Amino acid sequence: MAGGPPKALQSTGPYSLRDMPHPLAGSSSEEAVGGDSTPSPDLLMARSFGDKDLILPNGGTPAGTSSPASSSSLLNRLQLDDDIDGETRDLFVTVDDPKKHVCTMETYITYRITTKSTRAEFDLPEYSVRRRYQDFDWLRSKLEESQPTHLIPPLPEKFVVKGVVDRFSEEFVETRRKALDKFLKRITDHPVLSFNEHFNVFLTAKDLNAYKKQGMALLTRVGESVKHVTGGYKLRSRPLEFAAIGEYLDTFALKLGTIDRIAQRIIKEEIEYLVELREYGPVYSTWSALEGELAEPLEGVSACIGNCSTALEELTDDMTEDFLPVLREYILYSDSMKSVLKKRDQVQAEYEAKLEAVALRKEDRPKVPADVEKCQDRMECFNADLKADMERWQNNKRQDFRQLLMGLADKNIQYYEKCLMAWESIIPLLQEKQETK
Amino acid sequence: MEQAPPDPEKQLKPATLEPLGRPDPGLEAVAGEEAERAREEGSEADTMTDNNFGLKKIEISVSEAEKRTGRNAMNMQETYTAYLIETRSVEHADGQSVLTDSLWRRYSEFELLRNYLLVYYPHIVVPPLPEKRAEFVWHKLSADNMDPDFVERRRIGLENFLLRVASHPILCRDKIFYLFLTQEGNWKETVNETGFQLKADSRLKALNATFRVKNPDKRFTELKHYSDELQSVISHLLRVRARVADRLYGVYKVHGNYGRVFSEWSAIEKEMGDGLQSAGHHMDVYASSIDDILEDEEHYADQLKEYLFYAEALRAVCRKHELMQYDLEMAAQDLASKKQQCEELATGTVRTFSLKGMTTKLFGQETPEQREARIKVLEEQINEGEQQLKSKNLEGREFVKNAWTDIERFKEQKNRDLKEALISYAVMQISMCKKGIQVWTNAKECFSKM
Repeated sequence: MAGGPPKALQSTGPYSLRDMPHPLAGSSSEEAVGGDSTPSPDLLMARSFGDKDLILPNGGTPAGTSSPASSSSLLNRLQLDDDIDGETRDLFVTVDDPKKHVCTMETYITYRITTKSTRAEFDLPEYSVRRRYQDFDWLRSKLEESQPTHLIPPLPEKFVVKGVVDRFSEEFVETRRKALDKFLKRITDHPVLSFNEHFNVFLTAKDLNAYKKQGMALLTRVGESVKHVTGGYKLRSRPLEFAAIGEYLDTFALKLGTIDRIAQRIIKEEIEYLVELREYGPVYSTWSALEGELAEPLEGVSACIGNCSTALEELTDDMTEDFLPVLREYILYSDSMKSVLKKRDQVQAEYEAKLEAVALRKEDRPKVPADVEKCQDRMECFNADLKADMERWQNNKRQDFRQLLMGLADKNIQYYEKCLMAWESIIPLLQEKQETK
Repeated sequence: MEQAPPDPEKQLKPATLEPLGRPDPGLEAVAGEEAERAREEGSEADTMTDNNFGLKKIEISVSEAEKRTGRNAMNMQETYTAYLIETRSVEHADGQSVLTDSLWRRYSEFELLRNYLLVYYPHIVVPPLPEKRAEFVWHKLSADNMDPDFVERRRIGLENFLLRVASHPILCRDKIFYLFLTQEGNWKETVNETGFQLKADSRLKALNATFRVKNPDKRFTELKHYSDELQSVISHLLRVRARVADRLYGVYKVHGNYGRVFSEWSAIEKEMGDGLQSAGHHMDVYASSIDDILEDEEHYADQLKEYLFYAEALRAVCRKHELMQYDLEMAAQDLASKKQQCEELATGTVRTFSLKGMTTKLFGQETPEQREARIKVLEEQINEGEQQLKSKNLEGREFVKNAWTDIERFKEQKNRDLKEALISYAVMQISMCKKGIQVWTNAKECFSKM
């Protein structure tokens, strides 16, 4: 991505698929950013999954335009992102239209999932289904199971403390919807995960429950074997890059946790400030009732403070609904990444142990047994997948945080602009010469 | 402008300088605004007031404050603050001033001056002093009288007080005030020699009058209610404002934590690092900007406080009226009863119960000579009483007239001053908003470079 303000926030206009240039036509896409985005040779091994497999210099797309910081109109969500660098998108997924369902046993919310695709894996060009949180949770478990070498995006928190948060309030539902939309978009943008069978079923099946009951899942070759990796092997030495990733994630999660606490503290202080302001403004009104010439100016000040209070309330609401959830999401993300790293360690450990066992046997045959080869294969696949995903994750993270923090700044700027306008507008009122005493 | 009403009860009249012409109402307005500016500019600018001390223009400033130690009345060591009062007379047309007097006074001397003015000018709304102890503080502000910020604000408040007195058409002519500015030693003795403490109306007397007066001037009753309500609403306002300041301080300061964590985070990032780091710096700037903002707001609070205390001064004028009116009513009542007694004695009818009448009935009547004597005494008393009632009436009307003139003057001043205060408050808020926009725009710029 070139320097300057990210174009992700603005709409690029409603391009249809036909208008987008083919990735292989025309000039090369925008320069790679930094040294960590060059694709490694492993990744270009075609695994016959279609052109979506080509790793772009950018390492992938940002997590959709529906990130909380920007306005979430339907149009925005369906538009193509500048950062794709000209790639033709062939899969679009949107989460919207939350509805409450009241049944005898329970009450819950469903969301409409709209899918548009030209891929062969989809029988129809368009699908519209309804899913509830449970279904997303199921999808995620299935993805973790079937694609253990990849980083699966996080879901918003499952449990909410009843009584503290209203699960059916507009704000909560909207926050969740945004997070679920983000979740699906991240999967959509992933060159491997987006082709996962469970994902396909999730997007298309009329009756998801029937499918769930089947229990038969087709794991990928690697997935199947990784599933059976047992723990208990001790890792000799972690390759530097994975050690670095682990350390990075540790510190990253720590810093995010701190930022989350600071943000919560700020919101708390702002709310307390708001409470005082709501008492402060009306006192000027009371005073105004006593006065003659000063009545209008005092009333003006009272109204002004009232406007500032409203602006402050909007700010705190935005922070709570848009800022905090994204932070939390990333903390969950790093947690799940840590567990994938652990698994990778285990795969490596198993391979090393087996290799050592062979070396100790001191056989004359130089041939490496098949199962050790399998282990090596497994490990190398895992490492490759993980590295690719990490790069993608790093870029997405950068986009997401840029957007998030710019959004934070924007919200604050808007707050101050509203207050500024209020105060500037009463200056002429205060300066007015009054005829009546 | 009338002088203070003549009061036969007062033994010593404050010697006023001969007025050399009526002060121009235009000058009054100018002085008022300058008093305002004086508060804002502080010690830097000497402030000018057109003061008719023998047609000389003078400038008064409280330019310095100094900590002192000394021995108090009980010979115990004490620490107090002394304030330097400088008076300059403006000799030439080009406004050049010459320092004519410079002396040090402490707060208690200001109080003495004001108490004197209250006694000798009961019909004037006497300007208030800045508060004795810090009140309506929010937590960061010190309640300590020795705290330099408090001392500084008090210095400004004292200067403001002197300017208000000096720009008042009547008070400015007072000799004791003049001596306050010019005679360092012996001033306290001079004031005490006026015996003003003895002239002061007792609190109890005043309270009694407030409850018992039957026919006070309606305007004063309304004014009394107004000043009570004004006191109440400004107190409330100041209390809440202090809490608002406290909270706002918290909001800004917590943002400083962003600075630190962004810095730490930037250490583990590659491309994002620079943007985060510089944004963090802006968060630090934001957090530290609140100190100046709230300091400015204290000036606004001080302006409100002045009028909170002014409300008390208004109240004092109303109380005086009630006292005088009550006095008048009592005198009239007394006179009426004496007249009646006299009439009864003269005609021999007893319409009213009197102890004399009872004892007369019981122990026999008095002699005609005795009765004549009594009637004579009563007639003298009635005469005296009528004289007194006349002068009290005159006094009362003079008081009402003069007081109301000053009250009107005060109302104009109040409206002007408070409007200015509100405007400067709005300006402060605007500045704060602009700063906020600037900082966040800078931060946004840094984030965009992440």
